[in-house]
Amino acid sequence: MAQIEIRDVSVDYKRPNSEETFTAVDGINLSIEKGSFVTIVGSSGCGKSTLLLALAGLIPYAKGAITVDGKTVTAPGPDRAMVFQDASLLPWRSVHGNVRFGLELRRWRRDDLDQRVTRFVHMVGLGSFADYHPHQLSGGMRQRVNIARALAVDPDVLLMDEPFGALDAQTREVMGDELLRIWERDKKTAIFVTHAIDEAIFLGDRVVVMGKNPGHIREIVEIDLPRPRTSAMLDSPAFIAYRQKLRDYIAADMASLQMVKDVA
Amino acid sequence: MASAARTAARSAWPSLAPFLERHYTTAVSILSVLVFLVLWETAADQRWMNPRLTGQPTLIWQAVLEVFRNDRFFYHAWISFAEFGIGFVLALIVGVPLGLIMGTHKTTRLFLEPPLMALYTAPRLALLPILIVWLGIGIASKIAVVFLGAVFPILVNTLAGVRNADNRLVQAARAFGATQLDIFVKILVPGSLPAILMGVRLGIGRGVLSVIVGEMFVSQAGIGYQIMSYGQGMQINKMLVYALSISLFSYGLILSVQWLESRIRDWKPVS
Repeated sequence: MAQIEIRDVSVDYKRPNSEETFTAVDGINLSIEKGSFVTIVGSSGCGKSTLLLALAGLIPYAKGAITVDGKTVTAPGPDRAMVFQDASLLPWRSVHGNVRFGLELRRWRRDDLDQRVTRFVHMVGLGSFADYHPHQLSGGMRQRVNIARALAVDPDVLLMDEPFGALDAQTREVMGDELLRIWERDKKTAIFVTHAIDEAIFLGDRVVVMGKNPGHIREIVEIDLPRPRTSAMLDSPAFIAYRQKLRDYIAADMASLQMVKDVA
Repeated sequence: MASAARTAARSAWPSLAPFLERHYTTAVSILSVLVFLVLWETAADQRWMNPRLTGQPTLIWQAVLEVFRNDRFFYHAWISFAEFGIGFVLALIVGVPLGLIMGTHKTTRLFLEPPLMALYTAPRLALLPILIVWLGIGIASKIAVVFLGAVFPILVNTLAGVRNADNRLVQAARAFGATQLDIFVKILVPGSLPAILMGVRLGIGRGVLSVIVGEMFVSQAGIGYQIMSYGQGMQINKMLVYALSISLFSYGLILSVQWLESRIRDWKPVS
């Protein structure tokens, strides 16, 4: 059995201000091997973030089962850590304080807490910015803090919800490189949600393409590019072929949606 | 040309020019006060207006000396300060925790909101006669009216601060396994600090107003009492001395809160 097993999972959302529920994702089946890097792409509204939040234990799922190392996910646990978009850093805490935040909540032993924080702040290259506050940092630097905060608690699985979504294209590429460099050191299982196709191919061992109405897995594409990945690969024929393929899947999803609209 | 004039001005006032450049804002503020005082003095001197009704800066200065020398100023100031201080600290002790609890616990908020909002929107100084019936004309009724004046801005702002807490921060904390208490202590309380301080600043204004009006209404001592007696006795200059002392006091307090707020602005994102 793989480290993460998602079996026939569906997640219902309650519409605000009503009792009516709608199904955000349905019939999800996915196995993720330990140490692999899985990316999830899809147009907005396909439920890719919903699936990740369910995996994090932050929202309940209506049907099916999610297990991590054989244990059923019902709530956030020490085996998983999450990287959010940059707005999730505490504005009143410094870089050091923000990385410390995760460890405090996980009730980390006090004696080596600050040492550990310093180590991870250095690891993401922010050693000389430890006393800066989030609003003094660039978007890329804030995401380094976010990654350090998640890695510092030593999770088995790293969940990332469009962590580079708010960054400009250049910073995004740099951060992708950086993320892989950090990830290759201890190869924690990584699940990375994005809407950028190139990013999904560049980072992932496998790309999960999701479609909508309700959110479902449309296709899973194995990415057979050697590691370490380099930016030169972005222009290789293999990469371009993957890009074309994924784009077609997503376009097909958009087209089917268009037809639904036309009928209505 | 202009730069030549600047240089000339600089050589004429070698020590003043750099000071003016560095403290431009302060210099303009001081100038504003000076112009106002000179106009006031001249207007009263030239009988453009009646100094018996408007006072006059030089006479006010004499009144200051007189008030400090033989008016038991510090006795009255102490009474008012004690009334304000006790009432305000009580308002803090009640307002901040109650705001935090109401902000986090829905049932408590729904239960307490109607009566509190009714009190909040009512003119609380209008309750003064009742408070005097209940608590007498001594210090207690004034403490109560200061408390009622200050507690609402503090409570309402604290409540708003907690309710406007960034949900993304709460979710991030949850992902790291935060308990309800963790979220309260590490996110909601620090996150609502700017709002709490704003409530404190508004509360100071209300509290000072309340203590003075309370004393003017009925009392035997205090700054408000003195203002009332000198006002009725048409001693405008002495009355103004007392009024000014209140301005200075609340201005000082508000400056210190602003200093605290500026410390927080180190991290507070500009909104």
